[in-house]
Amino acid sequence: MVKRGFLATRGIARRVWRNYKAFLLFSPFVLLLPLWAEPLGRSISLNIVYLMRMVGIFTLTAVGLNLLMGYAGQASLGHGAFMGIGAYVSAILSTRWGWPAWAGILLGTLLAAFVGYLLAPILRLRGHYLAMATLGVGIAAFIFFREMTGLTGGNVGIREIPKLNLFGLEISSKKAEFYFVWLLVILVLLLCQNLVRSRVGRAIRAFHQSEVAARIMGVDVASYKMKVFMLSAALGGLAGGIYSHLQGYINPSQFSVMLSIQLVVMVVVGGMESIWGSVAGASLVVFLPSLVEALPKWMGNVPAWVRQYSNYEGLVFGAILVLTMIFLPKGITTSTVEFYRRKTRKAAELMGEEEPVSIPEEEVRNGK
Amino acid sequence: MGAFFSNLPQYLVNGIGSSCVYILMAMGFSLVYSSTGIINFAQGEFAAISALVAYTLSMDLGLPLLLAVAGALALTGFVGLLLERAVIRPLQGKGTLTAIIATIGASIFLKAGARIIWPEEAYKVPEFTQGQLNLPKASFNAQLLWMLGLTAFTVAAMYLLMNGTKLGKGLRACAINPEAARLVGIDVSLMSMAAFAIAALLGGLAGLVSAPFANYGMGLYLGIKGFTAAVIGGLGDVYGAVLGGITVGLLEEVVAGFLSVVLGVSSGYKDAVAVILLISVLLFRPQGLVGKGLVEKV
Repeated sequence: MVKRGFLATRGIARRVWRNYKAFLLFSPFVLLLPLWAEPLGRSISLNIVYLMRMVGIFTLTAVGLNLLMGYAGQASLGHGAFMGIGAYVSAILSTRWGWPAWAGILLGTLLAAFVGYLLAPILRLRGHYLAMATLGVGIAAFIFFREMTGLTGGNVGIREIPKLNLFGLEISSKKAEFYFVWLLVILVLLLCQNLVRSRVGRAIRAFHQSEVAARIMGVDVASYKMKVFMLSAALGGLAGGIYSHLQGYINPSQFSVMLSIQLVVMVVVGGMESIWGSVAGASLVVFLPSLVEALPKWMGNVPAWVRQYSNYEGLVFGAILVLTMIFLPKGITTSTVEFYRRKTRKAAELMGEEEPVSIPEEEVRNGK
Repeated sequence: MGAFFSNLPQYLVNGIGSSCVYILMAMGFSLVYSSTGIINFAQGEFAAISALVAYTLSMDLGLPLLLAVAGALALTGFVGLLLERAVIRPLQGKGTLTAIIATIGASIFLKAGARIIWPEEAYKVPEFTQGQLNLPKASFNAQLLWMLGLTAFTVAAMYLLMNGTKLGKGLRACAINPEAARLVGIDVSLMSMAAFAIAALLGGLAGLVSAPFANYGMGLYLGIKGFTAAVIGGLGDVYGAVLGGITVGLLEEVVAGFLSVVLGVSSGYKDAVAVILLISVLLFRPQGLVGKGLVEKV
């Protein structure tokens, strides 16, 4: 019997709640964040809204990288290159030829995807080879950004990049930028979440497990790899384009190998195979240095080495990477979720209940 | 074009110098890969650490050069051991991606540590012998002779080690099949430690001879170029490393010279040569120029 009227709506509402619980909880949290974060930020001298814009930018890239690394199992140690492409394309078009920001960002995104398409043959490589080849791509991109001085301004970079504006609407205050970035992030997260739950998502996770098995099941592995790579490159380009307009200036050192490694940290520490892990990872990478920098303002006197944290940042990130790999190989969010799931399962066993049958959809919803 | 050809001997001489460094780096990559199945992304850091330690020992503490070099190598070997114990051991059998990310983490950690101790952009590491020698169309530092000699000696030593000693046989056995090696009584864990320690020594030696200038960040390019050389030589083959190192070293200098003299392009592209070579070789001949071809197990 078909449910009608009220019952049907309730059914839909329940399904939406079940499938998009994390979004329904997270979106209001983010959109209301400036209300409480601005006064709080002032009192603890940490510009939360300002930093959250950066978290949003990095989330865009990290979630794309997570599709590639976490879900599809293809390492990329050169993803900063795509952010760089997006940033430079949009910056050059808007400063030299007066293109509107949205058009530059769009073209940067498309160009990043196109470069992803050109680089797709390296996805034939596996494991260490792929990692080294993508690291090489990142290094080569950095060298090109630095050396193509006529186009990119070399080490000086590009200054006075205009602020964002959307079809004549100026987005210049930090708060407006915050809303713009996070609306986009939520949209992209929704898209990625739906993608990984779809047929495509199942296919890419299938070849993560075993390429041969996936191929036998009829998954066109090469084609899916290329598409995921292009999508993640496009997201990097998109993020890079927006970044250049928020930041106002860019230079090659912003898109060095270190950026690519930081992106890997976001994915790996935040949580592989987890959309929300990317958000957690991006927050960690953005907030950690600022938190440490703000410490002296809270506690008055801190040891001298804390003051010079930027010198120690590499030590901390290196240690975090190694320790995460040893103790939480699936990252913070995924490992936490699995821990709780194991616990509830154990509790259920003790109660004499049957072990819950895992449905794919349940498994995918491991974000939160 | 004429200018390019008249400079060619100089490019080749310079290229031979870098070849030696890449050969040493490549042997380190190959040894670790063949006996543990891991590409050590921190291999370049060994070179940086050893060069910088040698600087401190000889310039700051005023030790004689020989002692400083020995001290630097000993310390780098120790770092290699430590890396194996602290990072590689706990991750054994946890998959390729995990090992890659962990060694990258270790590399960032070592680099950042080196930057705290040696923050400057360049340290002048003393040369073994000073002075310049002149050939008809090229000139080179006397250091180049040391580089050649030490590299030749090291390659020979590695050959003897791998073929003539029990340790070498153990390492090769682990490379072929770790399970079977364990069954015949080889201590696989010890072999893994030995591989890392020797690789650290090789990387350290590369750093020492790649002087005169060293800084905390030099490991990245040395690492990727050494890896390129190792891949060209068919990763896992210690002697292929020699061929690979020479290829990368010579091509890099000649192509960079061609770009800047003939095409008038910035010489800043020099570092991109090895990277592009790496990607091309991986794509078109992943088994290396002399390798036998990869057999992938499902």
